Amino acid sequence: MFFALTDDQREFDAAVRGYLAERFDLEAVRGVVEDPAGDGHPASLWKAAAEQGWPAVLVPEEHEGLGLGLVEAQVIARALGAGVAPGPWRGTVLAAEAIRLAGSPEQQAAWLPRLASGEAVGALAPRGSAPGTLPAVEYGAVADVVVVRSGEGLALVEASAFSATPQGSYDGTARLASLAVDGTGEALPGATAEIVAELTARATVLVAADLVGIAREALSRTVAYDRDRQQFGVPVGSFQAIKHALADLHVGVTMAEHAALYAAHAVDAGLPDAALAVAVAKAKAGDVALDATAAMIQYHGGIGYTWEHEAHFFYKRAKRLAGQFGDSDAQRARIAELTIDTVPA
Amino acid sequence: MDLTYTEAEEEFRSELRSWLSANIPDEWTRPGFWESLDDDESFRLRRDWERDKALAGFAGIQWPTEYGGRGGTPGMKAIYDEETVRAHAPRTVNPLGLTFLAPTVMAIGTEAQKKEIIGPMLRNEVIWCQGFSEPGAGSDLAALTTKGVRDGDDFVVNGQKVWTTNAVHGDKIFTMVRTEPGSSKHRGISMLLIDMHQPGVDARPLKQMSGASEFGEVFFDDARVPARDCLGEIGDGWRTAMLLLSFERGASGIAQYTEFRRQYDQIVEVARALGRDKDPVMRGTLARVLTELECLRLHAMHVLTQVEQGRDLGFEASMTKLQWSEAFQDLWEVFDDVLGEDATLDSIDGIDLRPLHAQAMWSRSVTIWGGSSQVQRNITAERVLGLPR
Ligand SMILES: Cc1cc2nc3c(=O)[nH]c(=O)nc-3n(C[C@H](O)[C@H](O)[C@H](O)COP(=O)(O)OP(=O)(O)OC[C@H]3O[C@@H](n4cnc5c(N)ncnc54)[C@H](O)[C@@H]3O)c2cc1C
Repeated sequence: MFFALTDDQREFDAAVRGYLAERFDLEAVRGVVEDPAGDGHPASLWKAAAEQGWPAVLVPEEHEGLGLGLVEAQVIARALGAGVAPGPWRGTVLAAEAIRLAGSPEQQAAWLPRLASGEAVGALAPRGSAPGTLPAVEYGAVADVVVVRSGEGLALVEASAFSATPQGSYDGTARLASLAVDGTGEALPGATAEIVAELTARATVLVAADLVGIAREALSRTVAYDRDRQQFGVPVGSFQAIKHALADLHVGVTMAEHAALYAAHAVDAGLPDAALAVAVAKAKAGDVALDATAAMIQYHGGIGYTWEHEAHFFYKRAKRLAGQFGDSDAQRARIAELTIDTVPA
Repeated sequence: MDLTYTEAEEEFRSELRSWLSANIPDEWTRPGFWESLDDDESFRLRRDWERDKALAGFAGIQWPTEYGGRGGTPGMKAIYDEETVRAHAPRTVNPLGLTFLAPTVMAIGTEAQKKEIIGPMLRNEVIWCQGFSEPGAGSDLAALTTKGVRDGDDFVVNGQKVWTTNAVHGDKIFTMVRTEPGSSKHRGISMLLIDMHQPGVDARPLKQMSGASEFGEVFFDDARVPARDCLGEIGDGWRTAMLLLSFERGASGIAQYTEFRRQYDQIVEVARALGRDKDPVMRGTLARVLTELECLRLHAMHVLTQVEQGRDLGFEASMTKLQWSEAFQDLWEVFDDVLGEDATLDSIDGIDLRPLHAQAMWSRSVTIWGGSSQVQRNITAERVLGLPR
């Protein structure tokens, strides 16, 4: 039994976190947040990401990727969540996943090396289908290629075939755009219903992992602040009302960490309970990220409500991601289908 | 990531499975069977069955053979926990001994204690009680006042313990006793292993809210115990107790998951029978608790991994306790929601609800014993998160 990250996976984690801490800290994030008209896609960060192989993580080695698994990808996603980092990493990885899973050899050869190297930016449209208007596409405005629903399957739409209109969003750590697509795009021939479901599962796991990273970081920062902040002559963290809330959050965040890790493995290994694992991970991660980021504001007091403080980066990002690919209620509806409507053997 | 067990471990699983299927009467797996027996009868039946199981080699899975164990791996212990629940094996009659005392003895006991305690415990020749709580010392265990005065080679013990599980069935009781006159708080306490079959010990049952009498109170009136029957050093009982409680709190998540998951299915079955399984609010509530149960399963895999890597879980055990006990309690609160206005009825539409109610009642206790949830949150906040005391 080995349910944990390996040393290599830990190193990957440390590398992403180390880069963000040194080169793209919360001041840099603030720069992106406070420039809402900008593309939210800092060139320096994307260059470093590409050099370190973050977009290449799931691309097979034959297409110049790292050929790693969803466990490694969720390590990166978690670290990016912890750093509330901007940029089109998830969309690029997921577009490459769609092409890996359902693309023709030609499509794979054309796109995978470019997406792996960061030369091309990808996006995944979570809603709508082509032709039509696809709302709230993460980094749709800077994408070279977008994976969209088309009929029952999936299709690629290149930048020349859509027009992007930026959509304002109070989560300034990312950029959203609505895409107007005229044609049906270039079909991904292997996109069966199962493949579409698998792509959604993978997207859901990566969003859950980002939320878990947000939650852990929000909790750690709150603990650190409340250890120092004095009121009534003592650190506020010595008050039991705060202690118990933070202890419960610690348990919850730890469980969400387990759940995201397991879901990533379950999807990669095709375990029989993968669908349940994904729904559990997203429901738990979404809930705990909303709780932890709300607690971050509450247990910082007034300063936590200021624009100057970083609590709102975490809170707003959690708000956005908690709703992606099915919010917690939708995940629970799925869990109910899987555990109530099927009579156990 | 490797969620499989070794070949040897899987072999152990199939051996255990076949022993269990040959040795558990069908009748025992019927819901409500155990609840239909009186306390003494249930105790006797379970005690004898467990002895036979030990004699067949399925006890003390991870303890060395020289002390009567099987000499297995932590993985085999996890398999044992899972399979016994799955096969509807009866609940152990020696939980305090097996789960808490035995690992403590294995960790810090003398060679003689290991030899004397483990084997007889596995065969249920000695049923152990835990004598920690007193009327004035529960969460604040260090406030205990049961006294031991040295008299030659013995201690003479006076005082009272309460909420003692298995009090009336117990043979011996590991007891926190203040052995240094005038000492206070954590100092001067010893953990003495006291024989309950002597005139100075009087055990009486207490009836629980469920109606059963699984716990009781134990009075010491000049009870004698040889000073060498002390676990850990004399005067160092606090340290011994903290070690022991870490085993209590870190109890097997995999056994609990397996059991609770089956209970979830039972609750769903009732919901279905009552036509309440389609109500979206009900479904959301059930799914919420199922989420926590799945997290418990994953946490158990995490704990097993840490144990196999030789890491000490330390205060993380408080998290394990919080997760399983709170999830279990939530599960049975959902049951009330399922029953709605008929929550207290013994049966509805011919479904006997009493065995389920018994679990629901029991769920109120799990956030109290072994350190209440409030105490676990204090420990987690202070010892894990490092918040100031
Ligand atoms: C079914 C069952 C079996 C048991 N078996 C045994 C046994 O075999 N042996 C044994 O020794 N004991 C046993 N106990 C006793 C159990 O260990 C105690 O009940 C428990 O430690 C709590 O102590 P108490 O009952 O004195 O409650 P108290 O300590 O008086 O607690 C009352 C309330 O105050 C809260 N509280 C206490 N301190 C704090 C704090 N610092 N911060 C916040 N809240 C606090 C508690 O959480 C609780 O809600 C058993 C109890 C039960 C219910």
